[in-house]
Amino acid sequence: MRPLRAWLVRILGLFGQNRRDREFAEELESHLQLHVEDGIRSGLTPAEARRAAIIRLGGIEPIKESHRDRRGIPFLETPARDLAYAARMLRRNPGFTATVVLTLGLGIGATTAIFTVVNAVLLRPLPYPEPDRLVYIAMSFGEPGDHAFSFTPDYTAWQNHNRTLSQIAGYRMFQANFTGGGEAERITGAYATRSLFPLLGVQPVMGRTFLPEEDRPGGPAVAILSHAFWKRRFGGDPSVIGKALTLDADTYTVVGVLPATFLIPGREESNYDLWVPFAISDSGKAKQILLQVVGRLKPGVGIGAVRSDLEPLMQQFRRKRSVVVSEWHERVAGGARRSLLIFLCTVSFVLLIACVNVANLLLSRAAAREKEMAVRRALGAGRGRVLRQLLTESTLLGLLAGAVGLALAYWGKNLLIALIARNLPALEPIRLDYRVLAFNLGLGLLTGVAFGLAPALQASKVQLNESLKEAGRGAADGHSGNRLRNLLVVFEVALAMVLLCGAGLLFKSFLRLRGIDPGFRSDRILTLNVNLTLSQYPKPLERTRFFQQAIERIAVLPGVEAVGAGTSLPLGGYSMTVSGLTIEGKPEADTAASLTMVSPDYLRTLAIPLVQGRYFSDSDREGSPSVVIVDESFAHRLFPGENCLGRRIQNPGRKTDWMTIVGVVRDIRSWPEQMASGEMYLCYLQAEQVHLRMTGGEMGSEMYLAIRTAGDPMSLAAAVRSQIALIDKSQPVHDMKTLDERRAGSLAPRRVSMLLVVAFAALALILGSIGIYGVVSYSVSRRTHEIGVRMALGAHQGQILGMVLRNGLGLIAAGVAIGLMASAGLTRLISSELWGVSATDPWTFAAVIVVLAASGSAACLLPAWRAARVDPTRALRYE
Amino acid sequence: MVWQGTLALMALQTLDALGPLHGYGIARRIEQTSGDLLSVNYGTIYPALLKLEQEGYIRSEWGVSENNRKAKYYKLTRAGRKQLQKEAHQWKQATTIMDRFLSPAKEAS
Repeated sequence: MRPLRAWLVRILGLFGQNRRDREFAEELESHLQLHVEDGIRSGLTPAEARRAAIIRLGGIEPIKESHRDRRGIPFLETPARDLAYAARMLRRNPGFTATVVLTLGLGIGATTAIFTVVNAVLLRPLPYPEPDRLVYIAMSFGEPGDHAFSFTPDYTAWQNHNRTLSQIAGYRMFQANFTGGGEAERITGAYATRSLFPLLGVQPVMGRTFLPEEDRPGGPAVAILSHAFWKRRFGGDPSVIGKALTLDADTYTVVGVLPATFLIPGREESNYDLWVPFAISDSGKAKQILLQVVGRLKPGVGIGAVRSDLEPLMQQFRRKRSVVVSEWHERVAGGARRSLLIFLCTVSFVLLIACVNVANLLLSRAAAREKEMAVRRALGAGRGRVLRQLLTESTLLGLLAGAVGLALAYWGKNLLIALIARNLPALEPIRLDYRVLAFNLGLGLLTGVAFGLAPALQASKVQLNESLKEAGRGAADGHSGNRLRNLLVVFEVALAMVLLCGAGLLFKSFLRLRGIDPGFRSDRILTLNVNLTLSQYPKPLERTRFFQQAIERIAVLPGVEAVGAGTSLPLGGYSMTVSGLTIEGKPEADTAASLTMVSPDYLRTLAIPLVQGRYFSDSDREGSPSVVIVDESFAHRLFPGENCLGRRIQNPGRKTDWMTIVGVVRDIRSWPEQMASGEMYLCYLQAEQVHLRMTGGEMGSEMYLAIRTAGDPMSLAAAVRSQIALIDKSQPVHDMKTLDERRAGSLAPRRVSMLLVVAFAALALILGSIGIYGVVSYSVSRRTHEIGVRMALGAHQGQILGMVLRNGLGLIAAGVAIGLMASAGLTRLISSELWGVSATDPWTFAAVIVVLAASGSAACLLPAWRAARVDPTRALRYE
Repeated sequence: MVWQGTLALMALQTLDALGPLHGYGIARRIEQTSGDLLSVNYGTIYPALLKLEQEGYIRSEWGVSENNRKAKYYKLTRAGRKQLQKEAHQWKQATTIMDRFLSPAKEAS
């Protein structure tokens, strides 16, 4: 009980400090007087007696201090007092405070912003109940790479017989032409099994989700709208339930509207406008359809058990197939981990450099404050006490910088998101949450200690007598202080070097990628997609007629130079691959090739150069001999060293027909990573005689138009749209972009990664140069006297300049040497992000060294020049 | 060196023997009785006294010294007297044990 009472009294002791201080001072004074009287009685002079009494007491202030400590709760009060003192110090040095807070705030802000993204993508769980029990299920043929899909028969078996999942659901994306109420629109929807919404725990804001009878073959055609689609196409109509809508000429009844926050996580953008039931047939003869499958683990079941549960249930063992089960979040976000971690590493290097700069600034200040420290020590403060005070100051600085950083991150994150959204998987919107706040606070505290510790240790290590005697220069300014400062700069240069090397490699990869000749001209070309509603255009001839009309109408628009159409574009649509082609006279040939059906002017419009033979012409139509144009890869692979013009390929659509090769064109390379693998072009005027079926549609119902224009392609957008609407206004124009945009888009993720890292590296370079400048100019100012002496003894300006430059360049050289070794080791970590450049590319490294040396020398030059201009007479008096 | 507990016990004992006394007096008394064995800064008595006061073993009030000086006087409370008896008893026990332990020869003779 007694200690408790004591604590109570001490807590009360926190109040009325002044009165208690005064009272204790009085008590001590009376103590001293009693002692002094005794002393006088034993024959001392009053002055002697008082001195003896104070010594015997052990000093007045230390006793007061220990009394105060005992009276209240020191580990609560001292920080409060230190904090108040620190705040006063910082207020009194606004320039210093602002420099530190801004430098660090920038670093912390950038780090926090990146962390906000990392948090949203990698750390935050999926926005569903018990998200850690959600798994993604796909099948694999044992091939490496992405496993995204399963087949419907397997899904049915899993659903009926599994023992490890409490729920299982499937969905599949589709596109359709939406008509009714305004302009026709190509929408993206998804088929979903009835189980999907209960599995995710999603309640519609209006209406209901699917009923049991709705996801069976022949069930009623119903649709659930996304919140955004409901707002956009139905104006947020509260009575939308029960209304009808038309997709590809089929009528659906709206039964529900999903909440605005609902999303299906995906690796890429996955905004489904609406959902319709996924009717999976139970009969064994039904067509196999690919779908995406998710499940919810039963309680107590581990993810590993699912695979061995589901694998034996698979319907088809003709080929070697296995089941791949992964956490849904990991499957969606895992791919972004690497580049996000690279960003986080990069930005923390920048923060580290900012810390080093601030530490250096504090070290210089510590030298200036040495006397203050000495006085504090002389007045009875222990080393620990001084250390604590200094660390309180730096922590306060760190926290202030953290606050600035938080504000920067708050505003900057939208910029960042706009920049890198395309590199991120589709997950919940990115926002600041408690984790980000905790991270930011932690960062503030950590940096406060990180940059404050070394200077504080240095400053608290004062030699009392020396410092008090000396006017200004003392121990902290001596060898160990300089060494520490130099070490920090070397460290900083090494960090900047690593960042610059990484940025340089990414930059070079990007240039390499962009420099690749794609084999076609992408400038001044407007592209767009039209996907004809199949039920309205069931025959190839009708579809051809539609596109012929479109081409004719667009070709006469002012400003249009050429118009072509193709079933896919370089950088747009899906090209189709056919295998098992038969070539006349070459029964053994390996004949897989991609296939594009094009209008006669397509190749000319895209300026894909003709190597041999001829382009298609209007006479290559139904009834005339079937013709085909191949690319060089195809020609070289199948007819090495031969002239392939006039050779024939069996028509994959009709075995009795043979297609004659009439031309060879240059390879195109749609995607930078893609290697040309052989391409065949068919003329769409012969669509009827060469037409091909494929899953989910027929070749030729979806076409891209490419329009070469004289001026800005986008200025023709509206005119083109209205020409197509004039043919049939129920066929929507979709995916309208310039071809340049498509090209830029294919490079965009790399461009963004590269830009971010380059920006951080540039920041590192600037901060590093400031650091070098700071240290060199500090050493010059400290050595003014010495320089004066040297000049007085006959050193000329060049020698002084050389001396200072050598000093700075030595540091840079050491930093570069260490940085070079570190880079050689660390750049390997980003080798997967590089293209056509080795991770230790000597040219990049050399360029980085030149850049670092140049900016480092520039940073040294100013103080060196100032040193060389020192006036010896002034310098000698300087102190 | 004097550790805090001992100093507190000595202060309590002093107040028990001499009655109400000021800090200076207590410090002098401890110094004298311990035969300068414990050469202690007088100042260290004050945090010890404060602790005793917080624990309720002593009380303090301002009074006037023998030579008419204003001084703060410390006085044993009833709890303090009990604590003194308890601690003195413990000390004696402890010293007896240590004594016996450290000089076994005496016991043998």
